[in-house]
Amino acid sequence: MPGWYYDKKELRNTPSAADGIDYKTEMRYRKKGARFIIDTGMEMDLGYNTTATGVVYFHRFYMFHSFKQFPRYVTACCCLFLAGKVEETPKKCKDIIRIAKTNLDDLKFATFGDDPKEEVMILERILLQTIKFDLQVEHPYQYLLKYAKCLKGDKAKLEKMVQMAWTFVNDSLCTTLCLQWEPEIIAVALMYLAGKLSKFEVVDWVGRTPKHLRWWDMFVEDVTMDLLEDICHQVLDLYSQPATKSPSQSPPPPGQRSARPPSPTTPQNNRNGNGNDKQAMSPETPSIPPINTKIPPPSDIPQFPYQTFTNVPPPLASYVSAPPHLAGPPPPPPHLAGPPPNVFPSFVSHPPPFPPVVPPNAPPPPFYPNGPPPPAQPHNSRRPYFPHPPT
Amino acid sequence: MAQSGSSMGERTSTYEAINKIGRGAYGTVYRARDKQSGQEVALKKVCIPLTDDGIPMNTLREIALLKQLNSYDHPNIVKLLDICHGQQIGKDIMMFLVFEHVEQDLAMYIEKHPKGFATTQIRNMSREIITGVDFLHSNRIIHRDLKPQNLLVTSDGHIKLADFGLAKTYDFQMKLTSVVVTLWYRAPEILLGLPYATPVDIWSVGCIIVELYTLKPLFCGKSENEQLNEILRIIGKPSKEDWPEVDNIPIKWNSFDIENQVDIKSLAPNMCETAYSLVMDMLFFDPTKRTTALKALNHEFFLEEPINT
Repeated sequence: MPGWYYDKKELRNTPSAADGIDYKTEMRYRKKGARFIIDTGMEMDLGYNTTATGVVYFHRFYMFHSFKQFPRYVTACCCLFLAGKVEETPKKCKDIIRIAKTNLDDLKFATFGDDPKEEVMILERILLQTIKFDLQVEHPYQYLLKYAKCLKGDKAKLEKMVQMAWTFVNDSLCTTLCLQWEPEIIAVALMYLAGKLSKFEVVDWVGRTPKHLRWWDMFVEDVTMDLLEDICHQVLDLYSQPATKSPSQSPPPPGQRSARPPSPTTPQNNRNGNGNDKQAMSPETPSIPPINTKIPPPSDIPQFPYQTFTNVPPPLASYVSAPPHLAGPPPPPPHLAGPPPNVFPSFVSHPPPFPPVVPPNAPPPPFYPNGPPPPAQPHNSRRPYFPHPPT
Repeated sequence: MAQSGSSMGERTSTYEAINKIGRGAYGTVYRARDKQSGQEVALKKVCIPLTDDGIPMNTLREIALLKQLNSYDHPNIVKLLDICHGQQIGKDIMMFLVFEHVEQDLAMYIEKHPKGFATTQIRNMSREIITGVDFLHSNRIIHRDLKPQNLLVTSDGHIKLADFGLAKTYDFQMKLTSVVVTLWYRAPEILLGLPYATPVDIWSVGCIIVELYTLKPLFCGKSENEQLNEILRIIGKPSKEDWPEVDNIPIKWNSFDIENQVDIKSLAPNMCETAYSLVMDMLFFDPTKRTTALKALNHEFFLEEPINT
């Protein structure tokens, strides 16, 4: 729906900013609020759609109101409550509050006041008005599955890629991406990221025509590599933030929607694998991070570490009209049996399988072996994030 | 009387009522003015009963759907400009649906043209009505109250469907007693209190198309029973097999006393063969036998070359 997308300048010019809350803090509030909605939703067995809808309401709400004026956990509960009704998975307001109470410390729960339910109910109307009754929200998940069905290639690898992209979509809710880009574009970007990380290279797809340079040309138009990498960065930045402290997010330059110079830090993840917050790097760290070239090859990536939270993608095979190459046994859902995940257990407890980063002056990798490279590769002059290892 | 927007310097719209238009069975409709832009709007006031858990899920679902429909910008659907809520009165909350205002509806338009319309114009208007209905039906919306008063005619002669909001929320059972609801375009299954679906709109469109030829309503009953009688007087009594077999049906098949049987052809002698065939497809007593909006659009009537008759 039009009207809900903002450029980066606008994202820095929010009511909270006008209220004296700095950008980093606001981003942290947004992240925490989103995560709280996701965790609460998961605890209440709400589906990924409902939780994602609730998170989108939350982000939109704070484009019109200040975090100082509306306590974020009350808003978060209200968003989840409303999303439950809209997505036809209603939960009682008092049940949501009960779960919230067990998961919040006393100080935070005190923001709910003497009559928490009434507090949430009154907020419901303000929320509705603020989000202009635009209740139906689309998410990248459906596009992810739609696009995946068209990609040809090794079935197991494809499923791994989808699984990883799904997790990135989950995590993207903790960023303001849903305020910047349509779900189709986020889906493409995060599939691109997952494809690179899992070394699933898409060389052919259903419906390909000669004018398609990349698979996503079939679905979205005018998506530059700059844009895709900017989106990937915003998600990857999450993993370079400390889980408990104020994030060290490198702020993007304002005003430019599609071109963002790469911050020198990403993909700056915790590569030492000891799960310690202090390992997260600051934005000022030099550009080539220490790489352990002996990190597990992609085939070793278990699905679990990427499952940071919420729900699994439905098995592709369960979708009607899934092409034969996707049909097959559903991927195992090991993460469901796992313990409740920490904030970002995946990249903290397990080294991500990033391929080695080549120096900035290395020639562009042959990413499109089946055809000419895309006409414009604006990222050539910069460090590619996930280039292919030299072959 | 109604306000939308939020604090923090966001656009705030306030509307002041100019006069009651009174269109719409499930809520009062006012002609109003957006104080800021000066734009005239149609303000539909509906009263939503609050539950223990706030605004009911059905209402929210319908609003979500309305908003989504609106984003398609369909040419034959009235534009929803804004939604806002008013004050809470006891267990009810007032909601205002703000629609674009179109000066004239089809009832007025018919009145203004006592000499009738050319077949070409009737064909165009019918096509636009059915196109709008098809759009609603393909979005799982049943209008349920189609009538000339709910079909707006723009200044350049195009049709826009109006007043289809919150149908489930505002069920027929909840109709306000003070509002006189016309039964003339109501399908038999509604009059009989049976479950109904999209065919009820097809029925209404059938009635309206005939009216475009005759300039007067086809079936004019003053009560549910009288309305059914009128229907049967004109389309004929259905066979006993077509009469719904439900125990709690309020009216029995043999309880009608039909006199002065007439048929549509003699009521609308100016109707061409293909138009007649189309409306007969729409006015089957048995809803399962009625045509659909999509099929109707491919009816011969709409495929003919424009001819002047």
